[in-house]
Amino acid sequence: MKRLLAAIFLFASLAAAPAAETSSELKPFVRGSWQEMLRSHKGRPTLVHFWGVTCGPCKIELPLLGQFMKDHSELDVVMISADLVPNLPGAARAMLEKAGLGTAENWLFSDGFVERLRFEIDPAWQGEIPRTLLIAGDGTVTTIEGSAEIPDLEKWLVQQKVAAR
Amino acid sequence: MLRMSLLATLAFSLCQTTAQAQMSHHQHASEAACEEVELRCASKVTPAFASDGTLWLAWMAGGRISVASSKDLGRSVSTPVQVTQEKLNLDWGPDARPQIVVEKTGGIALAFSIFRDKAFNGQVLATRSIDGGQSFAELQPITANNESLRFAALGLDADGSVFAAWIDKRNRVPAKQEGKKYEGAGVFFASSKDGGASYAEARLASDNTCECCRLGLAFAGPGRPVVVFRNIFEGGVRDHAVMTFTDPATPGEVRRVSNDDWQISACPHHGPSLSISPAGTYHVAWYTSGKARKGLFYARSDDEGRTFSDPLPLGRSDRNPTRPYVLTGPHGTTMVWKEFDGEKTAVNAMISHDEGRSWSKPVTIASTTDTSDHPLLVSDGQATYLSWMTKADGYRLLPIGDGS
Repeated sequence: MKRLLAAIFLFASLAAAPAAETSSELKPFVRGSWQEMLRSHKGRPTLVHFWGVTCGPCKIELPLLGQFMKDHSELDVVMISADLVPNLPGAARAMLEKAGLGTAENWLFSDGFVERLRFEIDPAWQGEIPRTLLIAGDGTVTTIEGSAEIPDLEKWLVQQKVAAR
Repeated sequence: MLRMSLLATLAFSLCQTTAQAQMSHHQHASEAACEEVELRCASKVTPAFASDGTLWLAWMAGGRISVASSKDLGRSVSTPVQVTQEKLNLDWGPDARPQIVVEKTGGIALAFSIFRDKAFNGQVLATRSIDGGQSFAELQPITANNESLRFAALGLDADGSVFAAWIDKRNRVPAKQEGKKYEGAGVFFASSKDGGASYAEARLASDNTCECCRLGLAFAGPGRPVVVFRNIFEGGVRDHAVMTFTDPATPGEVRRVSNDDWQISACPHHGPSLSISPAGTYHVAWYTSGKARKGLFYARSDDEGRTFSDPLPLGRSDRNPTRPYVLTGPHGTTMVWKEFDGEKTAVNAMISHDEGRSWSKPVTIASTTDTSDHPLLVSDGQATYLSWMTKADGYRLLPIGDGS
């Protein structure tokens, strides 16, 4: 319990930190966070990626996504740590920074009732990661199960630019 | 069914008031209700009935494995015995759970996995009690190889020996040395002739299977273990396979349960369930998100897994059905799974009295409003029970059906 309270306190203090220090901020992903995230990106093409520190394929994919984000500063990138095991803030932050994703919008599953969190996102999703949702400006969602191919992401982004003209 | 479902509801509403009052003020990221070692703090609970009708429970709580028994179907539980004094880094994967087998002689065999390093490499530890669960021998690795092992399944063979199968990554070492790619992990197995105190040398049943899902284990007859696992078929397709052993030392061929065509380079953490009836029918339930079908499914086989019936979908697809479990008991075959409606997780059950050819309408037999363990089934030879650990409502053992 003490450890958990400490973790909650940590999240709280991170959230309150000034913007300049939030390069690797991990927002606690709780009930309602999904809608909050969607609202804040409404109308803009957004890449949402679910990953976890214990997920083998994620270790390979994360640096590629880091590079993709660097190459496309116009795209909103949202990373959500959604491990099926207790999500570890320290390990998650280290992995994000190593992959060049420390400055992405980073969230960490922070509710023990993961079924409810997942249901809010997609009732058909049982928690497999990696998983990428490409959300178009008009709200259309393309789901990629497993590792995403960067050329597919490039193609999708080009389509978004065409649609926006 | 109806009567039992009413019973289940009653049991839940009685217990909910106090449990919820305790829980409501601290919603946090833990899957357990508390951090101590008691049963109410457990994240995973595994049941087993002894031949005298005593219910034995092995659970994970507070970083320890504890064991206790109940003479009154779980209403009261004996003083728990912790298998170790020290806290362990227990494997917390969704499909990991302690395994318990109670022999006819009263001996208890246990196995469970721990993470042995920060890279989440696992180790399966085994122990045994010969004094009716009052004490357990020092933990022993189930095999000398220590590369990475998880998801052990234990089964009691007719001659009293204990059969163990698990997921084992040892073959990635030679593959790496040769510069070859190694996918997944192997299903390895070993038997114990001394009630789980020591196991014979581990052997490979099938290589390159999915590395993160529980195994289904049952017996087709004396000395004939059967394992169901998520295989990796050609092209990285993670569909299910069944293997019937010729004898406890001789693996059989890999037979496909269903062609779901789920090609995914990810960990589903969602393994299958297997039960075999006295008539020899294989009952398999599993989860897939393949191109051919998505969701929970059931299929049966009358020819030792050579052919299976068409997959039968389980549950409401808009309610995220998960964690299927099937068990053949004295009064038919029972299947349970979880569904989530946005607020509550419910366990639904259905029964077949004709070897799985037809099933009753699914009925909700229990529900909870916070996180929960997988629903399991266990039989004492008289009835089949749902065994379910929930964070908000504690541990439940509920009879299902009345044999009608």
